[in-house]
Amino acid sequence: MRRQVVVTEFLKLRRSAVPWVSLAAILCGPAAMALFMWIIRDPARAASLGLLGTKANLTGLEATWTAYGSYLAVIVGASGMLLLAFIVAYLFGREYADGTARNLLALPVDRTWFALGKLAVAAAWWLVLTLIAILEGFLIGWALGLPGYTTGLGLKVVTNTLVAAAASLLLVPVIAWITVWTRSYLAALGFALGMLLLGDVVGHTGWAAWFPWSIVPMMTGMSGPVSAVVPWSSYLVLGLTFFGGTVAVMLQLRYADNP
Amino acid sequence: MPASDTVISTQGLTKHYGRVRAVDGLDLEVRRGEIYGFLGRNGAGKTTTIRMLLGLIRPTSGTITVFGHTVGAGRQDWLRKVGFLVETATAYPNLTVTENLDLQRRLTGAPRAAVSEAIDWLGLAPYADRRAGRLSLGNKQRLSLARALLHAPELVVLDEPANGLDPAGIVEVRELLRGLARDRGVTVFMSSHLLVEVAHLADRIGIVEAGRLVEEAPRDVLAARARDFVRDTFTAAEREEALLTGDLERYFLARTGAAAKADPTVGGAAR
Repeated sequence: MRRQVVVTEFLKLRRSAVPWVSLAAILCGPAAMALFMWIIRDPARAASLGLLGTKANLTGLEATWTAYGSYLAVIVGASGMLLLAFIVAYLFGREYADGTARNLLALPVDRTWFALGKLAVAAAWWLVLTLIAILEGFLIGWALGLPGYTTGLGLKVVTNTLVAAAASLLLVPVIAWITVWTRSYLAALGFALGMLLLGDVVGHTGWAAWFPWSIVPMMTGMSGPVSAVVPWSSYLVLGLTFFGGTVAVMLQLRYADNP
Repeated sequence: MPASDTVISTQGLTKHYGRVRAVDGLDLEVRRGEIYGFLGRNGAGKTTTIRMLLGLIRPTSGTITVFGHTVGAGRQDWLRKVGFLVETATAYPNLTVTENLDLQRRLTGAPRAAVSEAIDWLGLAPYADRRAGRLSLGNKQRLSLARALLHAPELVVLDEPANGLDPAGIVEVRELLRGLARDRGVTVFMSSHLLVEVAHLADRIGIVEAGRLVEEAPRDVLAARARDFVRDTFTAAEREEALLTGDLERYFLARTGAAAKADPTVGGAAR
């Protein structure tokens, strides 16, 4: 039955527009970075492109593999905090929007499996999106002929991006809980957006290692220089956030009224 | 009555929403194989009761047992024997009728053939490959009923099953539920705010008002009381109007299909 829960959740996601929307969104990230790289590596081109060229120069990017690779992790980390939150809010929220939650929760299946099934489907699709973003990033980087590529750097880029993806995944059970608690997408999406902004603010206060939504930006350099070593306490905070969110969503589905 | 003949039993079932008493000390007993009509006005507490029966909301106090299992305690394996339709017809709009039912089949452990059987049974074959979001309200209701009956449940809990159906569809569903109880021994617990709907179908009727069971009796007994009430309190014009409504319904059914012949009692509640 557990397998059937996951299979049905995959079917529901596959037949929705979300895979295509999220794929389009994730593809835009590396493509936009590549566009800026393409512009700034040629000052004459930047000058000829007017406002777009000026914006590209203002980013302070260098047209190298080192800079490009580090921004790939930023793109995936930021997408994880917003795009993955959107996917999770959809998976849980659609049951309330379509009125199907009560059909699901009165089935002879342990309700916690629905929560775990949805989170598993979100994690699997997020892994696919992350791998697509990495592949796209490398293909475009090689096509642009950016200088400074080494195998070691390539591995580091892949590792950093996967760590950023995994770290952002640990934040989403909280999104799932807010969706189930409020029985709506909106509060969860507002929360995700608010935490993205708050995480950036807290990141500048010296408490980034302790605030879950500042840790991904700290890891990737989203809101400042990349932290050379992420303290173990940050991984603990992320783990506790994941655990707390998962338990909360399970308890909500199992014990709270689900009218 | 032996305990095994009781399918649903509630004792002192109460649900408060803040200061509002949605259900207030409800004692119910539904027996195996009967059709129990749970009749009440909008807001009387019918849907809240059904949601508590299915474990969707927790009672403030009181107990519910279904097939001898206390609702809300431990694993809800008894739900395997229950088919249900709560309040409005709902389905995944971007999945087809067949896919919606296949989802239900997987989660209830029903055999693969159950999907096509349910589609045929509820007359959904012309729409099998149509997305649920593009179905009419009546066909959505049929889909919800197909979902409820797909896994051959022993108990069917239906909240306003006639919602959205045209008169011919109402008669078809009525026949279907009657057949379920008669031929398969399925117990049906159905709520409605339509007296005529419950009167045609139920073996026993419970009338709920403000969360309390104000009357409960076999249909014939209640029908006799209703006839006396109409005779004693209705004016001649009111009685004529009630008869006319029944005759118009018969005529409509006769003009739109063979449904009226299938159920000669249509529209006869007021007689």
